[in-house]
Amino acid sequence: MTVTIVLQQAINGVVLGSLYVLVALGLTLIYGVLVQINFAHADFVTLGAFAAYFFMHLVGASYILSIGVAFLVGAILGWMINASIFTPLRRKGNELLPLIATIGVSVMMQNLMLAWFGPIPYAFETQYSNQVIRFAGIFVSWQNVIIIIVSSLTIALLYAFMKFTFLGKALRAVSQDHETAGLMGINQNQLIMLTFVIASALAGMAGAMLAPVLVLTPFAGTSVIVKAFAIVIIGGFGNVEGTILAGLIVGLIESYTTQFLDPGLIDIVVFALLLLMLAVRPTGLISERREENV
Amino acid sequence: MSDPAVGQQVPDRWTAAVMSWRIKYLLAALSVFVLPLIFNDTYWRTNLTICAINVLLALGLDFILGYTGQLNLGHSAFYGLGAYVSTLLIVKLGVPFWVAFVAGIGFAGLAGMLLSLFAVRLRGHYLAIASLGFAVIVYQILLNWISLTQGPLGIYGIAPPPAVVIAGSVVADFRNLTAFFYLVSGFTFLVYLLLNQLVRSPVGETLTAIREDEISAASLGINCAAWKVFAFVVGSAVAGSAGCFYASFVGTLVPDAFYVTEAFNVLAMVIVGGMGTLIGPVFGAIFLTLLPEVLRGIGDLRLVVYGAALTFVVLFMPGGLIQAAHLVREKLRPGGPVS
Amino acid sequence: MFPGEDKEMITAFRALFLGLAAISLLTVGQTVRAQDKTIKIGALFPISGPGSYFGAQDKQGVELALEQLNKTGVNGYKFAIQYEDSSCAPLPATQAAKRLIEQFKPDVIIGEECSDATLAVMPIVEQAKVPLLNAGSSSIKVTQPGNPWTFRIMPNEVMQGVNLAENAYKRLNARTAALLFENTNAGIGNAQVFKENFTKLGGKVLAEIGFGRDINDFTAIATRVAGLGKIDVIPTYTLEGQGLKITQALAQAGITKGGGGGAIQIGTIWLPFGFEQKAGKAALGYIRIVQFDPTDTRDVVKNFIAAFKAKYNAEPTHLNAHAYDQIMLIADVVKRGGKDAQSIRDGLAATKSFSGVTGSVDFDKTNQNTKMDTVHYMETKPDMSWTSLKWN
Repeated sequence: MTVTIVLQQAINGVVLGSLYVLVALGLTLIYGVLVQINFAHADFVTLGAFAAYFFMHLVGASYILSIGVAFLVGAILGWMINASIFTPLRRKGNELLPLIATIGVSVMMQNLMLAWFGPIPYAFETQYSNQVIRFAGIFVSWQNVIIIIVSSLTIALLYAFMKFTFLGKALRAVSQDHETAGLMGINQNQLIMLTFVIASALAGMAGAMLAPVLVLTPFAGTSVIVKAFAIVIIGGFGNVEGTILAGLIVGLIESYTTQFLDPGLIDIVVFALLLLMLAVRPTGLISERREENV
Repeated sequence: MSDPAVGQQVPDRWTAAVMSWRIKYLLAALSVFVLPLIFNDTYWRTNLTICAINVLLALGLDFILGYTGQLNLGHSAFYGLGAYVSTLLIVKLGVPFWVAFVAGIGFAGLAGMLLSLFAVRLRGHYLAIASLGFAVIVYQILLNWISLTQGPLGIYGIAPPPAVVIAGSVVADFRNLTAFFYLVSGFTFLVYLLLNQLVRSPVGETLTAIREDEISAASLGINCAAWKVFAFVVGSAVAGSAGCFYASFVGTLVPDAFYVTEAFNVLAMVIVGGMGTLIGPVFGAIFLTLLPEVLRGIGDLRLVVYGAALTFVVLFMPGGLIQAAHLVREKLRPGGPVS
Repeated sequence: MFPGEDKEMITAFRALFLGLAAISLLTVGQTVRAQDKTIKIGALFPISGPGSYFGAQDKQGVELALEQLNKTGVNGYKFAIQYEDSSCAPLPATQAAKRLIEQFKPDVIIGEECSDATLAVMPIVEQAKVPLLNAGSSSIKVTQPGNPWTFRIMPNEVMQGVNLAENAYKRLNARTAALLFENTNAGIGNAQVFKENFTKLGGKVLAEIGFGRDINDFTAIATRVAGLGKIDVIPTYTLEGQGLKITQALAQAGITKGGGGGAIQIGTIWLPFGFEQKAGKAALGYIRIVQFDPTDTRDVVKNFIAAFKAKYNAEPTHLNAHAYDQIMLIADVVKRGGKDAQSIRDGLAATKSFSGVTGSVDFDKTNQNTKMDTVHYMETKPDMSWTSLKWN
């Protein structure tokens, strides 16, 4: 009995981890290139989920198509936020101001969504929600399997993009060393815009993927964002592999803490781990960046 | 400033400076004194007291952030620790109010010291997330350790500070809102004076040096780590005092009042007011405390306006209200703007 | 640092002063002028933030009741309402209450939903001598001390918990339970009461699992419950969003009847009609206390449902029903002669036989409504319909 439970919680942990990774990936990308934190990232996820919901219910489209719509919505949001906030503030050189501005954006978005969509949770059901796979005393719902698959695919695609395409290499160059990359003729502004758009599109898509799993209210994003920040740091700011590893670890922490301790302690364990990492290895589990004064 | 020749005094300039300094503070004290007399209903007096509490929070955070450049996103933790430690001492152990008050401040300062010692090597966003993590942990402890803190069940009926009795007659009864406001704003005023003195002394120069360029400051022999910890302790202790006042003012204590979003609110007050100045956060706190109240009339959209205000201030006036005041003053200066 | 900062202080102070003065003039001037023969009702509901879930639905119930009443008035009185946003938290609630009392000067106040907010507001309404009629907070502390100015028509956590534990033990023959509850005042309070009474009767609580409002996926919790051995009942205290996920997860894990297991989910309070349609098969066999039974055959309920559907094109939830009852009870008091804060308070205290859509009202000496017909039990049938078990 106990072995089954441990195994089951391991699977639960991987599902949760994939969920967090989907949200955290965008944050890592943005930080890697921009050295900025976008506090409104969670709300992009939420808006993506709502976009998918309404697209499915109003137009009657398929789930897959609505994921695409959410991807687009995220991309547009990313373009808007970068153009209106990060680009103008970058010239002022203060690393704190864009963060505050995104906090303001986050408050605005949440309450606009509240005014448009209301506070009552939307039940986003797909044909996969209630179907369960069972084997050897273990169960996984089809929806969760899909999350793992899509998450892995996204990660694989992103990885390939970063390692093998010119744009991807340029992104990594900029994230490793701004100045030298600029000297090499890479147009930083365009690259930053592209990164932001991709990262936010990922957020929107994550929202659509997660909508069936989340309790869908305008505050859905905030329920995952703080853990997403923790994951980005634990994994190493700006590092995709680190984020994936950290995401999985946090997911497993969540399921095992639930099993052996208490769900209320999850945040404490995760953030204690965060502080431990910062004390012992601030650059994260895997780091590519040359850190100054860390 | 010309050096006075030996035997010669420069009385007029010097006296003038001192006099205007005193008058400024007198005027400020007077305006604060008069406020609850103008706004004479309980609703507005409550708002004024909350303004004072938020000013305390903003001053504390600004000392850490604006004066030593440490990006502290976890200010809500010290606020909450001050509130809970003082309240629990009073409610569970019957400790007298002012003793518990000092204990609350001390505990918050101690927590600030621990976080700061831990994070003293971290810079920029790392410190930000570390402090955020610290705030989350403190919140979750307050929430989950129900046998100690009551958690979400809450602590109710917290009494205001005991009345001040001199020679058998009651001089100040803090169940009276006006009296409570004077208490908090008086304390805030003192804190402001204290911080102002610090900032204008060589200590202030040291802190500024650390904020501007830590490496160069270190090369001058400044122990940056010690000063950064010092600033953190002061800032968190001040936040703790705000927490003590909060608890006895609202009378009800639940952990949700110290959720991490509170830290963001205080941060907004510092930024909107003008980071790195002492008077800036005062106005930022007052402005951002009153804005949602004034906007109550427009109903559901008031928080949208709040978020928009924050974003626009940051985008277009990053020096905050102080910068705006400075610009206005420049425009109004007779004889045209001084370059 | 800006040069001449000290000068800014004076300018800024002047500006601030003027600003505050202007604000006070603008807002204070907005006090509502009371017309003769109007009963002023103040409403403290969470309108912003996550608690707006309650506020939005409360408002619907209130508006429907006011619409019906103001057509003819009661005893020559019409009803005016003012909503203030109390945000489901102590400080905003006290601010909203003070603003309400200072500027609108209501004769009676309804609200709040969340127990901490209600408890924080109680001393204020007591000092202002305005009666507070509550239908949303379950904490026993709201009425237990016996506050003469606070009334509650909803069954409190003790009434529900004792009753639920008894029914679980005696009617369902349950001997083991696993408690699932949200980490809020209401969740923890209700769970504690159930545990005390269930163990007193001889039952065993195998686990008490509290979770935060930010948990979206309950598979891990369901897994833990599955590993506890034979569970007879799973009392679940949460809101509909998380409640849905829990029910589905428990079914997926094969624990509850909906998933082929034997455990029965029992719970209280917050699952509206329509839950089954969203949960599907997973909700089979769920037994719960609801404070509004739409299958109730009394005329007052049928008329309410018809009117609500006509106005909002939706099925009413218990939140709508409670708000409706609060207004209707006030109207009943006015019919019996209430016309200002003190007489309304006395009228409320004297209520003996009011029949609302959520049940009847009879206040005991702590101003708690003790009628158990406000505690309705429902069970989800295989065809996803909701049948009333009529245990009270």
